[in-house]
Amino acid sequence: MEIFIQLLLNGLLLGGTLAIISIGLTLIFGIVRVVNFAHGEFLMIGLYAVYLLNAHFGIHPYVAIIPATIFLFAAGAAMQRFIIQPLLSAEGHIQIFATVGVSIALMNGALLIFGADVLTVQNISFGTSTVGMGAFRVSSGQLITFAMSLVLVAGLHWFLQNTFVGRAVRATAQHRNAAQLMGVNVKKIYIFAFGLGCACLGVASGLIAPQYPVFPTVGTFFVLTAFVIVVLGGLGSLSGALVGSMLIGIVDSLAGYYIAPDLKEVVYFSIFLGILVFRPTGLFGAGRGSE
Amino acid sequence: MNTKSWVKTACVILSVSTSIAAHADIKIGALYPLSGSLALLGDESFRGLEIAVAERNAAGGLKGEQIKLLKADAVDAGQAVGAARKLTSVENVTAVFGSYSSALSFAATQVTEMAGVPYFELGAVSDHITERNLKYVMRSNPTARNFAEGTITAITQIVGPSLKVDPKQLKIAIIHEDALYGTTIAGFQKQLAQAQGLNVVEVLPYSAKAVDLSSLILRLKGAQADVVLQTSYQNDTTLFFRQIREAGFKPKAVIGAGGGYSMQDTVKVVGAQNMESVLDVDFPQFQTSEKGAPGISAFAKAYKDRFGSEPRSGHSLINYVGAKIFLDAMEKSESLEADAIRASVASVDIPVGGTAAGMGVKFAENGQNQRASTAIMQWQDGVLKTVYPEAAAVTQVRFSDHP
Repeated sequence: MEIFIQLLLNGLLLGGTLAIISIGLTLIFGIVRVVNFAHGEFLMIGLYAVYLLNAHFGIHPYVAIIPATIFLFAAGAAMQRFIIQPLLSAEGHIQIFATVGVSIALMNGALLIFGADVLTVQNISFGTSTVGMGAFRVSSGQLITFAMSLVLVAGLHWFLQNTFVGRAVRATAQHRNAAQLMGVNVKKIYIFAFGLGCACLGVASGLIAPQYPVFPTVGTFFVLTAFVIVVLGGLGSLSGALVGSMLIGIVDSLAGYYIAPDLKEVVYFSIFLGILVFRPTGLFGAGRGSE
Repeated sequence: MNTKSWVKTACVILSVSTSIAAHADIKIGALYPLSGSLALLGDESFRGLEIAVAERNAAGGLKGEQIKLLKADAVDAGQAVGAARKLTSVENVTAVFGSYSSALSFAATQVTEMAGVPYFELGAVSDHITERNLKYVMRSNPTARNFAEGTITAITQIVGPSLKVDPKQLKIAIIHEDALYGTTIAGFQKQLAQAQGLNVVEVLPYSAKAVDLSSLILRLKGAQADVVLQTSYQNDTTLFFRQIREAGFKPKAVIGAGGGYSMQDTVKVVGAQNMESVLDVDFPQFQTSEKGAPGISAFAKAYKDRFGSEPRSGHSLINYVGAKIFLDAMEKSESLEADAIRASVASVDIPVGGTAAGMGVKFAENGQNQRASTAIMQWQDGVLKTVYPEAAAVTQVRFSDHP
């Protein structure tokens, strides 16, 4: 029983890490309707930004979240404005190719600039310690990440529901043309939404930097799982991404122990397929008919 | 000038120009992953070859002609085939050197064999590469089986005696990344451990792309493993060390089989105190005694002069030593025809402890160097020091507060 609870804890905390990465993806997915294959590489950029700020100025990763978020917002907005926007009226697969291209370019760009070396933030104690809770042990960094993922989802939800811009974003997500007829500047909203989705990765980078080193292909380690989570939770659904992350995290943890560490992907992909057969729009998807 | 002399002059010019062509550089192909995720160690391997070629050129080249090294980048098997085809058919290289990754080696050697061009493997470890009996494929470096032998030797000769326990009493867990590299070595480890009567309590494969190994560590903890053998890349090595610390799991010894365990970057990420007294079986590294590896400090100096930094791992050394063996054999060969080179390579005979990597050289009929061996090293104060075999050791093994 003790082991089971420790596994559940590990799973939930892993879910928190996965959630903070998936939130941005589901935002972009749900609003701009673009499958951003470069999502993992934006995470990689964020991690390098956090690393550089730490290495050169000794800034703690949690403080580096602020500049990293601003930087990634700008990077995301620029990608939407200069790469996705010209392709908006093109077919979906063209946009996919474009994001895959950006992904490969960024990965090899990082390889060119930083080399394939594994780098990590140094000289930090806050966020790397282990917290004992009775017989159970968890990493303080993961605990903070978990809490922040809840805060981020709540904050974004509030923003989308209660502010003028948030409403415009939701209107655009529901129907691009109708929103435009109501006077929403759809192109600006798209740029904003893409930036916002990437900015979430800025938060993620700062939070996970104490736990994971950075290298050019680090994004590929997370991005496939993030896609599974986003589809599982329902495209564009924030709470779906949160629940999906926890579900995948727990399945990952339990399957790794009770079945086999190398078969955990098999288990969660089977569950993923099973859910999609019965609910093709995902757990919290808007259902058929949404754009 | 009459017509006759015109023809004569033309003939002279023609023959001069063909003899110039014949005196062009000797082309050698270098097939490595120089971009993509294998680039770090691919490039480190290539540097070893580069230094060996530079040395040979400084000593007069091959048969009095300079060697021209043609770089070919391949990140997967498909590209390796393409690169090998280009080297053998367009560039007409005399031989190909490679390749760090076994997957690349498998693919590229098929092509070079058909073209009848010698392929000198300096770093890929899969045993199967030389078990296909390809005529022109020769390998200087130790194989996966040698690595597994090293890890088992580490248990029986180092961990057992140091902790003053019978190795058979130790509970051994084998964990490995689940692709070819990890699976092959772990397979040999299992087999050899059984043959030695060791007690293997868990064998757990995992994906090298895993972002969480906590459940695997709980299983090791549950099995009360004393010794953990891990075969891994860099990311999963750092993940393992972070998470055993978080889980409060303290095995008596951790033994890695190269890969992530040999990298200076890994210890930087993990922290020197967290990797203290961890054992590592790999190609010989730089903290090796000159007594057991003549020429190693000269190589380290040449490396620093050329690249302006310390070597990033022992891959450059093993590639340098291998390349030197094959280049010397080519120089001694009657001609630069593939069969003559093969015969010359087959006649090389260097006793153990006769090269800068400590290993000896004697090629079997299948092209594998039978005197290739690994070294056992230990992380001490953030430095990877050779502790076994004794001739190459620079320090004593020490187990203190571990890990």
